[in-house]
Amino acid sequence: MKRRDFLKIGSAGVAGSALAGAGLISWTPRAEAATINKTFYITDGTPTMITGETVYLRGFSSSASSLNVPGESMVVQEGDTVTIKIVNTLSTPHSFVIDGMVDSGTINGGQTKTVTFTAQNPGSYVYHDKLNAPYNTLIGLHGGFAVMPYNKPNQLYSGSPTFVQQYFWIFNDIDPIWTKAIQAGNTPSTPYTPRYFTLNGLGGRPPGAPDSGNPNVDAMVDPRSALRGSIGDRALVRAFNIGLADQSVHVHANHLEWLTENGQQRADIWNKDCIYIEGNMGAFDAIYPFEVPPDSYPPVQTSIYPMHCHTEMSQVADGGYYMFGCITDIYFE
Amino acid sequence: MLFDINEKFAAKLSWSKTSSTTSSGSMTGGGGGGGGGMCGGVAQACYVYPDAPATPGIVTPDVTFNRGIYMNGSITMDDGKVITMWGFTDTGSNGTQVNMGGNMGGGDLYPSPAMRLTQGQIAHTTLTVSGNMWVHTIHHHGIEPADHADGVGHITWDVDGTYTYQWRPHQAGTYFYHCHTNTPLHTEMGMFGAIIVDPPEGPGTLFHNGPTYDAECFWVVDEIDSSWHTKCWSAGTCGDDAGLNILQPDYFVITGVDASGTSAKNNPPISGSIKAGQTLLARYISAGHQPQFIHLPAELNATVVMSDGRPLPNPVGTTGFRAIAGERYDIIMKPTVTGDYEVRIDIKDWITGNVWGTAKTNVVVS
Repeated sequence: MKRRDFLKIGSAGVAGSALAGAGLISWTPRAEAATINKTFYITDGTPTMITGETVYLRGFSSSASSLNVPGESMVVQEGDTVTIKIVNTLSTPHSFVIDGMVDSGTINGGQTKTVTFTAQNPGSYVYHDKLNAPYNTLIGLHGGFAVMPYNKPNQLYSGSPTFVQQYFWIFNDIDPIWTKAIQAGNTPSTPYTPRYFTLNGLGGRPPGAPDSGNPNVDAMVDPRSALRGSIGDRALVRAFNIGLADQSVHVHANHLEWLTENGQQRADIWNKDCIYIEGNMGAFDAIYPFEVPPDSYPPVQTSIYPMHCHTEMSQVADGGYYMFGCITDIYFE
Repeated sequence: MLFDINEKFAAKLSWSKTSSTTSSGSMTGGGGGGGGGMCGGVAQACYVYPDAPATPGIVTPDVTFNRGIYMNGSITMDDGKVITMWGFTDTGSNGTQVNMGGNMGGGDLYPSPAMRLTQGQIAHTTLTVSGNMWVHTIHHHGIEPADHADGVGHITWDVDGTYTYQWRPHQAGTYFYHCHTNTPLHTEMGMFGAIIVDPPEGPGTLFHNGPTYDAECFWVVDEIDSSWHTKCWSAGTCGDDAGLNILQPDYFVITGVDASGTSAKNNPPISGSIKAGQTLLARYISAGHQPQFIHLPAELNATVVMSDGRPLPNPVGTTGFRAIAGERYDIIMKPTVTGDYEVRIDIKDWITGNVWGTAKTNVVVS
């Protein structure tokens, strides 16, 4: 049963348009190591929030004329040679770092730098600007990076439970006073008070809201975020919390199989409906199993549910607008 | 196709409802479980969808929980401050009753009346929201039913009238239910209660073939920011800045009792009381919005055996652990030494990690 069957409002639709950033993560294992080339442009911009407020952000963008927050996610294979060219179009110094794998050092304003490294240690990472920590990362200079184990196309690490699809969930929060200060080259001096809460750069838009259903705007349908699958389409979620607020990541309809915490494999896999993810670079990997919702009666195979943060202050935008915060949807298809 | 156009609608819905329950039009609550969460008599609400459709696939249940709404409850804190609370009432149920929570007078409970049933039972939760109570839902948190039984307002519907949620819990454990309409505010106002699912063995066993216990206590840990407790039920939904991104708690509560001092001590079933050698089960529900850290004296020999309604592959001995909004932990304690042991829960700030306050109860081992 679709939720729309219950809604009593008009059905004027929003036209779907080009997708924001990367779409669904596709991955094909290779027998041979490859050379992966990617160019990121450090750019800035002022996206407009639901309130009409514009917020200054910077990102590792896919072109010199766009702003991608987070940057496009990358999936490579263990042993691949990865070459990243970073073009800093801004006047401020930045860097490109994957902790434990590569550090570009300072890339001054207007400079271009290329780094090459070998992908190793299968798992989930963020690439980010580590200068002026945590501000440059927080203001948008981050993106997901995954290393798949060699010859294990459906595992997070060798021997892990298997999955058939994968997603990044990159959580962030935005304090516009802080982003203004960072834009001006200052160190924020006010208590951090986030007013917007995003998943892969977007907040939710409940039915009836402007741009509800637009995958470029609405985190509930953003294909980078919304889980879609039929029964058995187990989805690996690589979660990072860039924002400074701790969050409770709560899924409906299935429990998550909780595999890693802050980059470390857990001693036991727990089944959780809420997972604690720390602010300022907390992380977990978990599998959403897409099993028949076990407490449904009669059992259902198709249904739509939310994933949202249960730290409820994150569910709003600008102090109101419930459900315009940290939320996406889970589609049993 | 990546985007199903029919799943979302572009038309903005603005909904208003004029209260008609008092002749004066002054909606200040009052007796008889009357309305609360008032907004000057008329509430503007956005992106809520009042409805009460028929329940798909409805069958005769094994157990029924009938729930109504109160919005004019109040709790008196130890310092004398009176804070408005909202919650669910039990309007007649045939499930097992659980004595839990602070009785605020007039029969209203905070937390709301618990639901207790046995795994495998077909359950009905029938929510009736009368006209002067605006709209609400019940989400059975951690229970995983069909979406029409999941009770998520705004993206399905918000109950206006009577709606029956049908569900069948397959796994014994500790869960909770809460309103999922304008959730930051409604849950802060107290609109939640425990769900306890017993295994076939019945109370005394945590889950099928799992650990047994001689006594149980309920640690439903919540924080209250009293400045939120004067808001309109629909605050913020139309985009007004209702301050719902900032929760600065000034009261710290265990299972409905002000727990900053001693009120939640020696106050079963919040506190525990067992003999040395017996087994105590604490059902811990992180019901607030902020992170928590629970401190357990080593003498309690505490072990976490279950979380979020699922047995752990290997129980974990603990003298302290963190929890965050919505999590549950089931803690088995087997103390062998008599004593009066204080259990402290720090409520921490989600950004700074600073401790806002500490809730306290105790376990007395005789």
